[in-house]
Amino acid sequence: MENTIAGYFLEFEPLQYLVQNSSAFFGFDTTALIGFLIFFIFGIVFLGFLATVGGFGTIAERKISADLQARIGPNRVGPYGAFQLIADGIKMLSKEDIMPRSADKFLYYLAPFLSLFGVVCTIAVIPFSGDFIMADLNVGVFYALAISSIVGVGIFLGGYASNSKWSLLGGMRGAAQIISYEIPVTLCIMMIVVLAGGISFGTIIDQQAGMPWNWYIFHNPFTFIGFFIFFISNLAETNRAPFDLPEAESELVSGYHTEYTGIRFGLFALAEYIEIFVVNGIAVSLFLGGYHLPFDFLEGTIPGNLLQFGTFFIKTCVLYYVVIWIRWTFPRLRVDHLMSLCWKYLTPIAIFNLVGVAIWMVCFDGQSMFDLLFSGSSHSGGGH
Amino acid sequence: MFSDILFLSASALIIGSCVLMMWTKNLMHSCIYLLGVLIGVAGLYLTLGADFVAATQVMVYVGGVVILMLFAIMLTGGKDFQSKTQKILGLLPLMGSKYTFMWGTATAMVFGFCQIYFFRHLFTSLELNETTSNQYAPTVEKLGELLITDHVVAFEISSVLLLGALVGAAIIARPRKERPAFLEPVDDHHHDDHEEDHH
Amino acid sequence: MSNQSLNAFMPIIVMMVLAAALYGAALLVAHLLSPSKPGGNKDLPYECGEEPVGSAWSMFNVRFYVVGLIFIIFDVESVLMFPVASIFKKMNEMGEGTYILIIFLSFISVLLEGIAYCWKKGDLDWVKSYKRSVDS
Repeated sequence: MENTIAGYFLEFEPLQYLVQNSSAFFGFDTTALIGFLIFFIFGIVFLGFLATVGGFGTIAERKISADLQARIGPNRVGPYGAFQLIADGIKMLSKEDIMPRSADKFLYYLAPFLSLFGVVCTIAVIPFSGDFIMADLNVGVFYALAISSIVGVGIFLGGYASNSKWSLLGGMRGAAQIISYEIPVTLCIMMIVVLAGGISFGTIIDQQAGMPWNWYIFHNPFTFIGFFIFFISNLAETNRAPFDLPEAESELVSGYHTEYTGIRFGLFALAEYIEIFVVNGIAVSLFLGGYHLPFDFLEGTIPGNLLQFGTFFIKTCVLYYVVIWIRWTFPRLRVDHLMSLCWKYLTPIAIFNLVGVAIWMVCFDGQSMFDLLFSGSSHSGGGH
Repeated sequence: MFSDILFLSASALIIGSCVLMMWTKNLMHSCIYLLGVLIGVAGLYLTLGADFVAATQVMVYVGGVVILMLFAIMLTGGKDFQSKTQKILGLLPLMGSKYTFMWGTATAMVFGFCQIYFFRHLFTSLELNETTSNQYAPTVEKLGELLITDHVVAFEISSVLLLGALVGAAIIARPRKERPAFLEPVDDHHHDDHEEDHH
Repeated sequence: MSNQSLNAFMPIIVMMVLAAALYGAALLVAHLLSPSKPGGNKDLPYECGEEPVGSAWSMFNVRFYVVGLIFIIFDVESVLMFPVASIFKKMNEMGEGTYILIIFLSFISVLLEGIAYCWKKGDLDWVKSYKRSVDS
């Protein structure tokens, strides 16, 4: 149970008391059972939290776009239109669920589920704070990368099952785009793995503790480029503008969810907005120091964890803002430009970064730029 | 306890999806059931504590191979084309019908149980004790160490193998220089995916 | 990177169950709240107001398949590189940095060779590989 949120909470007095008593009552060791219940409760908490964040994402999108275009945006429901997501949710729930007559019924029902499934499963390894991580798996980053590829299948099926030409085009494009941009993402993650010497989120984040110049984005020039490669590729992975080819309004009506109405369209949208938060959270953890504060304050206690959680949340929200900002600033790419951007620019640059980081590791013993610049020549071994 | 539940649910997922995959006549549905099988296999790897292999299974098979298969099915156009094939196959006795798969499954099960029966002493000697099923060491580092020490040659050769696969795949999938007469450009405007360049 | 018990994988299963539960609950609530009056033209796929012509399930371009093939090769290569990358730092601290760097770089160079080949032959082009075949 170590390295999990259940392990953290099972160390508290009342829960240990509960475990002892229930073990005595049921006649077997109930640690795993209580742990499971803790996982379940926190799973619901995290999922609810992220769903709310996703809902607020839709409002933020509209408010920020209104700001950028000198409009007011939604302002009728609640203060500053903050309850718009509730109104939207009720609207989507009460809309008729229409399915085209010629659609593939089974796949039509399955597609939003797969899309949601891939996103929700990644929540299990997102490091919200030092101890508020559902499980710090040994293969954490790799797991997140792997399970989120199911989203591509969901988007393809959404396009195929509708039996509409617009949907099918959007679905095919979406799947091709998602698998293509997975390559630069993987290479950028591998770059960080080379630096950190481990695949788990805990290992990677702990090495970035302290001041901002310990963050991996400022570790060396290659990681600095790598962050932007990672960020751009993530925009494409989540089908955000300027890479929103699968749902390009001006050419494909609405892309893979043209035929979806009501709550199933809502679930597609929810999955997309949660995914933006999740991938930005991963970017924060890999490059921007994750949940670490510049100082050790109340580490390990619940208030300290909440403080770390706030740090993580603010960093991620800044990236979220940038994502929305980009959407309302840049025009959409053409589909051939999209593919050549991935295969001819991002992937070679990512490979170059990976090679550069590997050589940097050997030449400078894994010290960062700032170590080399400010702590004098006493530490710089090898190389130059 | 948890490993038992994981094993049971993973194997239930595998067997259920397998049966459905064989049963359905729709190629696309078949492919999606295959997705279930592959996720179930990843679950089985997890019960053995092979977390990296499980994640690899999901990454390569679910994220790559299944999507490639879906693209390959789309080359044939999906459902309509598929039902025609079934009719042609259906003319042959016990081909393409449910009975083929039922008999096939039954035969496989009989053979499987025979094998288990004859080799049962192997299974009893492989008792899983508590320590192996509850704790496991991190696998990634061990894999990495093995890859750069004992199996370094295999590691390097595998990259050459993959290069060969890449080149081969590119050559096979490339449109041929001399195209057959029935695939002349006039036809292409209709069969293409509507998003084409008309320059 | 420490020993973990199998229970550490519980959250994955929990999240899978929760994803299914969220989907099921959303559909159930929508079913209870929403009207259901099927029939008429709203059951037809949207085709800009025209009557839909034929099925959308037609033969598709091969280029998606090519992208998929190239992706899988790169995927497998990166999966093989991950374990080596994860012990890179450890080996470097043990003084074996040059050795693992050579292994790592030779692996990547083969990967680069592959991408260079595909680039030169035009397999990475979205449009050109199609146009070239028509022209010739």
